[in-house]
Order: sequence, then C-alpha cells, then structure tokens
Amino acid sequence: MGQPRVFLVDDHELIRSGIRSELAGSVDIVGEADEVDAAVEMIIERTPDVVLLDVHMPAGGGVAVLAALSGRCPEVRVLALSVSDAAEDVIAVIRAGARGYVTKNISGPDLLDAIYRVAAGDAVFSPRLAGFVLDAFSAGGTTLEAADVDPDLDLLTPRERQVLRLIARGYSYRDVAKELAISPKTVESHVSSVLRKLQLSNRHQLSHWASERRLL
Amino acid sequence: MNTTTPPRAVLGTPFRPYRRGVANAILGGVCGGLAIRLGVRERTVRVLFSLFALVAGLGLLLYVVLWLCLPRADESEAIAHRLLGPHRQLRRVLIGLVAIIALGWFLQALGAPSLGAFSWPIWLSLIGLIGVWRGASPDERRHLEELAKSAPIVGVPTTRTKRSFFLRVVLGAILVFAGLRILRHFGSAWGVASPALVGSLILIAGVLVGLAPWWLTTLNDLSGERRERVRVEERANVAAHLHDSVLQTLTLIERSAGDAEVVTRLARNQERELRGWLFNPGAPSDQPGTYAAQLREMEAQVENDWGVKIELVTVGDLYLDDDVAALVAAGREAAVNAAQWSGASTVSIYAEVEPATVSLFVRDQGRGFDLESVPADRRGIELSIRQRVQRHGGSVSIKSSPGAGTEVELVLPRTA
Repeated sequence: MGQPRVFLVDDHELIRSGIRSELAGSVDIVGEADEVDAAVEMIIERTPDVVLLDVHMPAGGGVAVLAALSGRCPEVRVLALSVSDAAEDVIAVIRAGARGYVTKNISGPDLLDAIYRVAAGDAVFSPRLAGFVLDAFSAGGTTLEAADVDPDLDLLTPRERQVLRLIARGYSYRDVAKELAISPKTVESHVSSVLRKLQLSNRHQLSHWASERRLL
Repeated sequence: MNTTTPPRAVLGTPFRPYRRGVANAILGGVCGGLAIRLGVRERTVRVLFSLFALVAGLGLLLYVVLWLCLPRADESEAIAHRLLGPHRQLRRVLIGLVAIIALGWFLQALGAPSLGAFSWPIWLSLIGLIGVWRGASPDERRHLEELAKSAPIVGVPTTRTKRSFFLRVVLGAILVFAGLRILRHFGSAWGVASPALVGSLILIAGVLVGLAPWWLTTLNDLSGERRERVRVEERANVAAHLHDSVLQTLTLIERSAGDAEVVTRLARNQERELRGWLFNPGAPSDQPGTYAAQLREMEAQVENDWGVKIELVTVGDLYLDDDVAALVAAGREAAVNAAQWSGASTVSIYAEVEPATVSLFVRDQGRGFDLESVPADRRGIELSIRQRVQRHGGSVSIKSSPGAGTEVELVLPRTA
C-alpha cells in the first residue's frame, strides 16, 4: 500500500490548512470539504482510504456525514477529529461508524500514525476514549448516587478491559503488547472488537450513560 | 438502565424488575409494566385494574400509588423519590396529608364517609395525580401533555375538532344539568347536606369541562413565556461567561504574543476551563469534594506550575475522604516528579474507582531511571510518595528503566 488517500472535512479553513501542512508529503490528500452535503458527494465520488472528519459542523456535523455515507462506500474509513472531549460526542461518532477518535491537539506524527492505522482497518482509541468506554461498560465503578449498575453493561472481556486500561494509562499499542506479552496484532484485534461492541451494543444503555454523565 | 426490559409484554415470559412501561404506556405505563413483569397480555391487566377501580376506586388508588413509586423503564428514579428528594418537599407532603385527613374528617362530620363516586380512595388518587404531574420527568410530562391534547374533551384549540367541541358541550351540559337537578331536589332541605355537596361538585366539574380549553391555553401561554425568559437568562449567562473568561484570555494572549510559553499556558488554561464549562455542567465530579474533581484541580496546578501537558483520564468517581485525599497528594508528587525530571512533554494520569480499590497511575515517556541507582535527592521524593500512601493502607509500585519512561502505580483498598 502506498500513501493513504485522505479526504479532509472541516468547516474551519485554518484547521484544514494546519492539517494539510502537517500531513504534506506523508499522505495523499485527495480533497477537502467544509460542509456536510459537499463532503458526502465528494467522498462518494473519490472514495478516499481515510476521511478526517470534524465532529462539530453546521447542519448535523460529522454524524450527519457518517449517516449519509453508511452502507454506500464501506471501503472508506473515517477518523473523527474534534476539539470536543464530551462523552456524548465521542460515543455518537463512534456509534455512527467512525473507526477512531482523536482530538485536534494531537501531534503531527501521532495523527499520521492514527491515519495509517485506520487505513489498515484498525481502530484508534485515544486514552480518553478508552476511559469513556471503560466508564460506560463499568460494572459498579462509581459510588455516586446512580450506582445501580446493570450487569448487562458488562460486555467487555477481562482481556479487552486490560487492554483498554493500559491505553487509558497512556500506553501506545506497542507498549500494551509488550506489557501483556502479546503481539501488536492481538492488541489491534482486541481494540477492534471493543469498537464493534461499542457500535453494536444496545443503543439505549450507551446514550443513557452519556446523558447521565451530563445531567447528574 | 433496564435495557433488557422489552418494550411490550412477551407472553408467558416474565421479566424483572417491575418498571413502568414506556412504549406500551397509555397513561402512566403501570399496567403495561405489570404486563411485561408478569408476561401476560396488556389488555388483561388493564381490564383487571378497571374492574378493581369499581371497588370504591381502590384500583385507581393502587394505580396512582404504583405510578408514584415505580420508576419508568428508561429512568432510574421514581416520581415519589424525585418529589421527596429535597428535604423541603417533605413539609409539603405533610401539609398535604394533614389536608387529606381534615377533608376526611369534614366529610365524616357531614355524615358521608363515602360520598358515592367521591370516596376517600378517589380523593387520595386525585392528590396523587397532582404529585405525578409535579414530579414527572420532562419526557413523561410531554407524554402526558400529548395525552391531554389528544383527549377529545379537554383538547386545546390547536387540536380542537368539531367532534371534540361537540363532545365537550354535551358532556358539560349533562354535568351542569345533573348538578342542577340534584341541587334542586335536595337544596331546600338543609338536613341532607351531602347530596347538595355532590351536586355542587358535579356542577363545578361541568363548568370546568366547559372552560378547560381556555384554561389550558392560558396555561400554555404562561409556560411559553417562562421558557422564553429562561432562554434569555441563559443567553445572558453565556455572554457573561464568555466575556469573563474567553475574552480576557484572548486579550492576555494578544499582549504576550512574544512569549510562546505564556501563550501556551494561557491557551491551555482557557481550554480546560471552557471544556469543563461546556461539557460537564453540574456533573458530579464538578462538586469540589470528589476524587475526579480533585484530580482535575491537581492537573491544572501541575500544568501551570511546570509547563507540561497532563492527560487525565478518570473512570468512575467517589467522594473524598482522608485516604483518597492522600492518594491524590501522592499522585501530585509523582506528577510533579515526572514533570521535573523525565523531560517528557506529556504526563498521563489515569484514575480508576473500582468496587474494591481506588487506583492512580502516573506515567511519562521520558528518560526514566534505574531503580537501583536512584540519586539521593530523588529517593526522598519516592520515599515520601510511598510513605504517604502506605500510611493510608495503600501500596505503591514504580516501574522505570532508563530511556523507557516511568510509571508510578498507587493503589488504595476501599474501606467503605
């Protein structure tokens, strides 16, 4: 595989040019869009390997793009990019089909790494996303009032939990593999399976969790 | 939380726990929920409840009590719990109870312990219904409002049809007429006060039914006005906040444009503050006395004082006690240590609250060190971290090797 073909979607020109200059030479940028409809049209037309998608845009934002793309070009993978760390936003884009979530203050090399990983079909979990997932699937982690935890939330295997915990502690995939004495590929597959669970599990419990965090 | 609760009853398959239905609710979802719980047909439960209601309104009372005491399937709190939550509400409930008893006594004095349709279970139910309305969650209230709108008799003008208008007039007329009849029949004989009372009540009901649409419209207008006012206030709050924080910071950044370090620090502070304000309004961890809040404060201080980026991830939370406070303090030392010595630009802090333990990981990917040959000045810091945590019954382990960064793990068993 040569350089991944990347498409940028962000309504801020400043951010797009920043990303463009950071990625220049390392990936093949095949197009940019600053609004939902144009983005959908061009992505379908150009089928890039990876779409860098801003979460917050007018007219529905990243989730609207993902919804419009869903099922139409399965070979296009989406990496969500945002300034927001709100649990709701993170969970919403992942559930809409994004393969990963990074914040805009990510360093150039890390972003590149994430793009390559997504292009290869893997999932990209930042420490914060790993924390959110652990929190959402936690079995009795909290002792604040709303502690009646449904055992069905506890969908993660102990190994997946271990992997997520290490990612949340700031370990790279390679460090995780070394720590658990497994191969990096196995780490990838654990993370991908967590992503799948996140996307497929009962919608209600996750949205409930996200809103609970906000409302309490 | 009750995600496994099916939206409708699965015949022959009972489900726990008993929650009020949402998808199959007509009024409060009490019957629907019971049907799901028992695995029987919704209609069966409803018919039984209706029959039971004919027994002096006892079924109705049972319905209202269940409505108050059971959480909805998609909520975690019952209405009664919500009503009684704040302590000041307790007084209102007590006053309500006293009023009910007084009313019962009054009716007793009139020699009418059960006035036909207006027996005590019905009075209690009506008061319970007021409680339901006051304590209903926004979702449920919307459901009830829609119900009220679609009901033909009290339909507000927007949904009013000829049919509902006709029905209302007829029903109102019948009630007024019945009331007048009873009044005229017994009105002259003051000795028979109770039918007179029934008569007046029916009369009042008739007038109410007639005037309901107008009354509801007024009510709607009022709540619309209130909503508008809340919106304006909210906007003013946002503007004030943006002015106090964001604009000030931008000015400061402009002034110190030459000093990259100061600008970074200002931007980072502002970002953290704005983030907290936008995404965690009123979150439990915003209360100062929790583990996560304490860590966030620590994050801000260390970032400010040492110019490193701290990546803080917390899972779960709990209220602070001496032990947890000591854990945070030790974690702070570890973070400062990492900022000072490791040379890494980012320090990762991961905090997790589990049923049996509270843990804190402080990790950097800096230069690391050889645990065996730690210089004396660093040993002191390590010892103080260790002693602090061990004094509170916890344990510390430090992993480090030259060139591969350092991770300090602090674990505290939970006593409570």
